[in-house]
Amino acid sequence: MKIPFSWLKEHVFFKQSVQQVADDLVRLGHEVESIEQPRSAVKGVRVGHILSMESHPDADKLHLLNIDIAEDEPLGIVCGASNMAVGDKIPVATVGTSLPNGMKIKKGKIRGQVSFGMCCSEAELGLAEDAAGLLILPTDAPIGMEVGEYLALEEAVLDLDITPNRGDCMSARGLARDLAADYDLPLINAGDDDVAVDGAVAVPSVQVSASDDCPLYMARRIEGVSVADSPDWMQARLIAAGQRPVNGVVDVLNYTMLDLGQPMHAFDADTLSGDICVRATQAGESFKALDGRDIALHAGNVVIADDAKVIALAGIMGSEDTGVTEKTTNIILESAAFRAALISTTRRTYGLVSESSMRFERGVDPAMIAVAMNQASTMIMDLFGGKASDISVTGDVEGLVKAKTIHIDMQRIESRLGIDVPEKFDDVLSRMGFGIQRDGNSLTVDVPSHRHDVSLFEDISEEYARVIGFDAIPEVLPSLATINPRKVDTAISSAVELGFVQVINYAFISADEQRLFVEDDGKDLVLQNPISADMSVMRRSVWTGLLNTAKYNMNRQQAGVALVEQGRIYAAIDANNPNEEHRETNVIAWLMAGELESDTWYGKARKADFFDLKGAVESWLSNRGLTARFMADDEALGLQAGQTAKVFVGKSVVGYVGKVDTDLADGFDIDADVFVAQVNLDALHKGKTLKFQPIPEFPSIERDLVFLFERGTESEAVLQTAKRAAGQSCIDVRIFDLYDGKGVPEGKVSLGIRFALQDAKRTLTQEDSDKAMQTIIDAVVRKFNAELRG
Amino acid sequence: MSEIDSLKGELQRLQEKALASFKNAADLNALQELRVTYLGKKGELTHVLKGVGKLPPQDRPVIGQFVNATKTALAEALDSAEALLAVKEKEQRIEAERIDITLSGRTSPRGALHPVQQGLNEMTAIFSQMGFEISEGPEIEDEFHNFDALNIPQEHPARAMHDTFFFEASDEQQAKLLRTHTSPVQIRAMKNCVESGGEPPLAVVAPGRVYRCDYDVTHSPMFHQVEVFKVDKDVSLAHLKGVLKHFLSAYFEKEIDIRLRPHYFPFTEPSAEVDIGCVFCAAKGCRVCKGSGWVEVLGSGMIHPNVLKSVGIDSEIYSGFAFGLGVERLVMLKHGIPDLRLFFENDMRFLRRMGVSK
Repeated sequence: MKIPFSWLKEHVFFKQSVQQVADDLVRLGHEVESIEQPRSAVKGVRVGHILSMESHPDADKLHLLNIDIAEDEPLGIVCGASNMAVGDKIPVATVGTSLPNGMKIKKGKIRGQVSFGMCCSEAELGLAEDAAGLLILPTDAPIGMEVGEYLALEEAVLDLDITPNRGDCMSARGLARDLAADYDLPLINAGDDDVAVDGAVAVPSVQVSASDDCPLYMARRIEGVSVADSPDWMQARLIAAGQRPVNGVVDVLNYTMLDLGQPMHAFDADTLSGDICVRATQAGESFKALDGRDIALHAGNVVIADDAKVIALAGIMGSEDTGVTEKTTNIILESAAFRAALISTTRRTYGLVSESSMRFERGVDPAMIAVAMNQASTMIMDLFGGKASDISVTGDVEGLVKAKTIHIDMQRIESRLGIDVPEKFDDVLSRMGFGIQRDGNSLTVDVPSHRHDVSLFEDISEEYARVIGFDAIPEVLPSLATINPRKVDTAISSAVELGFVQVINYAFISADEQRLFVEDDGKDLVLQNPISADMSVMRRSVWTGLLNTAKYNMNRQQAGVALVEQGRIYAAIDANNPNEEHRETNVIAWLMAGELESDTWYGKARKADFFDLKGAVESWLSNRGLTARFMADDEALGLQAGQTAKVFVGKSVVGYVGKVDTDLADGFDIDADVFVAQVNLDALHKGKTLKFQPIPEFPSIERDLVFLFERGTESEAVLQTAKRAAGQSCIDVRIFDLYDGKGVPEGKVSLGIRFALQDAKRTLTQEDSDKAMQTIIDAVVRKFNAELRG
Repeated sequence: MSEIDSLKGELQRLQEKALASFKNAADLNALQELRVTYLGKKGELTHVLKGVGKLPPQDRPVIGQFVNATKTALAEALDSAEALLAVKEKEQRIEAERIDITLSGRTSPRGALHPVQQGLNEMTAIFSQMGFEISEGPEIEDEFHNFDALNIPQEHPARAMHDTFFFEASDEQQAKLLRTHTSPVQIRAMKNCVESGGEPPLAVVAPGRVYRCDYDVTHSPMFHQVEVFKVDKDVSLAHLKGVLKHFLSAYFEKEIDIRLRPHYFPFTEPSAEVDIGCVFCAAKGCRVCKGSGWVEVLGSGMIHPNVLKSVGIDSEIYSGFAFGLGVERLVMLKHGIPDLRLFFENDMRFLRRMGVSK
């Protein structure tokens, strides 16, 4: 909310500077987002009088002006505008001036002609969004005067972010009340003048059937107004406060709202028929809003209606056809109270928002309803003539403004704030309108009608904190019990240590991308209001995000990537009812593509393959004390058959490693083989606590065997067979060589197997190893139809 | 000239010749050959010794002494020549083995922890060390945990400010949503405590992802928060300030000034926004703090009695503080990262620069 500084001063005489007031408002809980200074922003721009005007000798569209700014010599200025004439008064930015748009005025040559300044438009002065030509000032503008002063630009405008609980501060008066209390200054009485009532003007007839939602409704008829534009000073203030002037009557009501906080509405009385009713809507009714939209109303909203139609959505917006225009002569003014929750629900139902609804849903001061009605009536009649009726009042004024009383133990407040509260702060609260009585530790607080947000002990504790100032409260470390600290999750840091770069992608992806790795089984969780279609479905695989990251980086000169991401995947449990139950699963996922390392002096770059990623996953699992088994899987969606494996830990599948289908990778513009893996973190059990084993006393023996196998023989099966055959003393068996080149027959592959034997009780002999070798040879040859090569 | 003199002369010449040849030996191998030549079983000295047998017996000890002295002299000369040559040869080898130590070392590829992860790790570690228990909750929430229980009723204006992502639901169902803050974990942790028969004290830190339907230069639809709260008897606003000051100073690794400004949050009363003295300009005023010397970092307050009530904790007996901090915001401030979007673009050049594996 924007509020001109000068407006605050109309409600309380304070001498504090703009900055001081801004700081104090912040301390009191009203955030000042920025301070505009429209007048000093145009300092150096002065009223100029055009003495002569000629065409520029070398440019058709430029003019040479001679301008008097009440200095010794007139200024010669080159100007590109065309809407001025000799004798006009115009704003002249003199040399050295900085304009609000950042332009600095210097003496300069334009097409060979020297220019000593610049003539300005409204846009250049920051007074309008855009402008067609120069701002032509009234002819009586004093030559040489600062334009900011002449136009009475505001010294400062505060842009405030009023919190939703403080509807009472969405006006000059509301903010001034807090300041007055803080500065111990009196609040100047609002213009609660009696309005000269003309008995001949009929009092509007009002029926309120929705009295719970509208506890107070005041209406007044004013006849014979001639609606004109509001005066310049009022328009200037409205503009400074961020409002657009509409017409005289509407401007007066907006002005009153900004001044006192009470939203009002005016109907053109001649567009209404019969009584004014405040009632609930019936199904099938519709409403033409001020913004031109036709709104089909639900039953149960509250509207203002006449005999024939809905004329306003209560507290939110009037209808287009019954509003006040330049042609209106008879008006009906409305000043009322509406239940905050009703306004909030209704305006959200229809997606409407207005200055009025913003105030009503935050709560306005019922004590201002009559005051605003009278102030606005007086202003309208002063400015536009007319005769006013008496006010029709429906509802209980007394009941609305009655104070709530809270009883509190003062000690509890002090313990809650962690500071003693001297009685002088009671006085500050009193000045804010609270009735405070302290008797020892017992405190009785009467809450004024404008403070809808205060009803509990805690609310009063906040009021005290606010006036004491949070800065005054000490910083004290509480005593904290020793807890059982949870073991730090090392999943991601362990992957990072293996050389992967951690990325974080959004948890929502496009529906199309979802289908790359997950079949459509109806278990997708779909957002109702996504940012875009690309971010509309909760991911069920992290791989699409990783592929996008790989694409992004490989398009930016990265020859290869090794990525890891930890996060959740999301799926419904029941396909028929995705909103009912869902599962969030914690996973870690990897992607490798392209060069692992670039060329170095000690080695050539190598491209990632299946075994790079498999090795990473194995190492990562082994860091957690887990051993994995890998089983070929040709069925995984989006992964290439023959280069994909399921990852087992114990008997359960915990993840996958595989090569991304090449067409799929092409779709991401990735010109390299892409390998991905994923492990379900929730499915991993904790590794076992390590137990001590004695260091072997006797040496081990290593022996090698080389066999020819049929292509497609799984090495893991060979190793298992060899190990079983070698017996208990076999401590290790592995593949040390793989060859299918020259010398190996087509369709065969040569595998070298190295095994190690060791006994805990004695040194093994040649005889032992020969025996083990022979059993291995027998078993492997028999089982795999292999041929011993050496 | 007597036999003995001639033998002496011969030995003398032999010694001179030998010593000269030792000096000229090119390497240890040559020296070894010379050792054989002079001192070997078939060497020249042995040859000379054979002549001793022809001497009369009384002369033999004299010449024997002389021979032994020569032998010792030769052996010593050989040893020292050998030692000299060994040093020389080692020097030569060292020179030959000289490498360019400025060449890069053989490294394995370096990984990088995402700066947001780093921030999360650092923040949770600080709170954990202070005695707050780590807790997590679901990202897909219901309206009860995300709003109602936090004293944000349906028609509350603050509810609209949360820009909530909802899931598709049939008409009669209440749509699920993506949590807009980590505060629902507060509700879950407190409910859990009460329902399992426990009671405060309760001190929890809850890091996690949150979502808001807002996407522009300064807003990301997904970001990270850390929720911190404590419920106990006599918890005060002063405790809140104490914990904030301790945490912020620990995180920024220097003494941090904090400023609390009264604010409004439905789930706390009193509520305060917390500013820190600008870490960029030492609170002198710069672009980051818009000249004010202060930067807003988080929202905080004393837990609202309605929140305690919603989980069955008696606000007459217990009170608590709570705050939620934006992880990205603090990481940006700590490391001078200018743009929120960098965190989710995942550009390797950024991540590798910022990422430390720890």
